[in-house]
Amino acid sequence: MLLAAVPASAQWFKLATPETPRLPDGRPNLSAPAPRGPNGKPILDGIWQMNGKYLQNIAADMKPGEVPYQPWAQKLFEDRQGGRLGWTDPAARCIPGMPKLDALPYPFKIIESPGMVMMLFEGFTTFRQIFTDGRELPKDPNPAWFGYSVGKWESDDFVVDTIGIRQETWLDNAGRPHSDALHLRERFQRHDFGHMDILLTIDDPKTYTKPWTVKEDVRLIPDTELLEYVCTENNKDYEHLVK
Amino acid sequence: MRPWLILGALVAASPTPAQWLNYPAAGIPRLPNGKPNLAAPAPRTNDGKPDLSGVWDVLHNRPCPPEGCADMWIPQEFLDIGWGLKGGLPYQPWAAETVKKRMAENRLSDPNWKCLPTGIVRMYTTPLYRKIIQTSGLVLILNEREAMYRQIFTDGRPLPEDPQPSWTGYSTGKWQGDTLVVQTSGFRDGIWLDANGSPLTESANITERLRRVNFGTLEIEITVNDPKAYTRPWTVKLTQLLKPDTDLLDYYCIENEKDGPHLSGN
Repeated sequence: MLLAAVPASAQWFKLATPETPRLPDGRPNLSAPAPRGPNGKPILDGIWQMNGKYLQNIAADMKPGEVPYQPWAQKLFEDRQGGRLGWTDPAARCIPGMPKLDALPYPFKIIESPGMVMMLFEGFTTFRQIFTDGRELPKDPNPAWFGYSVGKWESDDFVVDTIGIRQETWLDNAGRPHSDALHLRERFQRHDFGHMDILLTIDDPKTYTKPWTVKEDVRLIPDTELLEYVCTENNKDYEHLVK
Repeated sequence: MRPWLILGALVAASPTPAQWLNYPAAGIPRLPNGKPNLAAPAPRTNDGKPDLSGVWDVLHNRPCPPEGCADMWIPQEFLDIGWGLKGGLPYQPWAAETVKKRMAENRLSDPNWKCLPTGIVRMYTTPLYRKIIQTSGLVLILNEREAMYRQIFTDGRPLPEDPQPSWTGYSTGKWQGDTLVVQTSGFRDGIWLDANGSPLTESANITERLRRVNFGTLEIEITVNDPKAYTRPWTVKLTQLLKPDTDLLDYYCIENEKDGPHLSGN
């Protein structure tokens, strides 16, 4: 259903960017070292795209039985199989939320500015703000679809902590649940110019018996720009989902 | 139906104000009593240009109904973008007919009711906050409504020759003195410029001139050049006021949009 509103892909964003390292034949050199900022840390700026399999199944790389469900969560996950209860996923109503937002198979753009890292998503034409000005996570955040995020550097990793995510969101299209106790930790690791991993840790003791971590791979898409994506423009599936 | 009841749909999904967004920001000039000094000069970025960054609200220039102001206190231009123009907007005959029909139909076909994007003009008149972030080569506008963003490229790239039509269009900006001049084209048909239904067609281009006159005030002059819908280009000036020490909240129209189906034709 997330695919319902995919815009026709347009050809008009072919924009050679000066900061892209190039091979002798002019093609982008995606294996060049990651660029670094004045603080010596890797710069995450760029347009990226995540391996699409994690939207469908956040545990795609895990073995059966490795997701440490609490009993109620296991049951709810099973109840959601086969598209049943798909209509209860906020994304079916064009409401994006974390952590599925990161895993959308459309490009996203990272922009670092003083005190903040922004993520702009082509999917839903929406954004996340990650505060890097040293503020603490709020004690009692207003529940929000993306939660409230603060980030800091640990060596070469950009580490983002997010709490306050509305409990209605699903972790993936397969229907893995979470509760209001969810504390997400993302660890962005840019390995070279063209490749990054996001290590995503799900820490939600109400839903899972212990924290668990997945590694999602992201690749850079050079020389392009984001397009407009309007989910509400063409969302025809919701009415047809079995309720 | 009274207009503020019709506009109730916009109010429906208003989030409860949260207390945790009172976050005193660094870099805000303050009066001796600690309050932000909104009359102080506009801040500047390292390259000496005015910095438009901040959370901005509409200027509330419309009187409230007798029962008090709504949460979503709309400005005059929300209803009629040409409110300040002598003689109103210079509609082409078909456009004047369209507006009349849309109003007679109680704005039933307003893209707003379907939670579609507002487009760049109506975004400024929607009584929710916008956050401008000015970085090197890019001015970003983050909108509270639908948590949607708009990019204005200031890295010198040209406007695309044949852009894919979109609600937001494709925007480039450059500085003329202390004014950021933004050119936008590539609109799709079907955009409303105001709640009266003033149309914008795909032949339109829009020029915005953004000037931060002091710390607390942003002036936006908008020139709409759309010969299909208007007999001549027209210009309106909007004022936005800084909301210091806060940030954007979640606002999803689709989350709680229940009024659309109940709107009648009259």
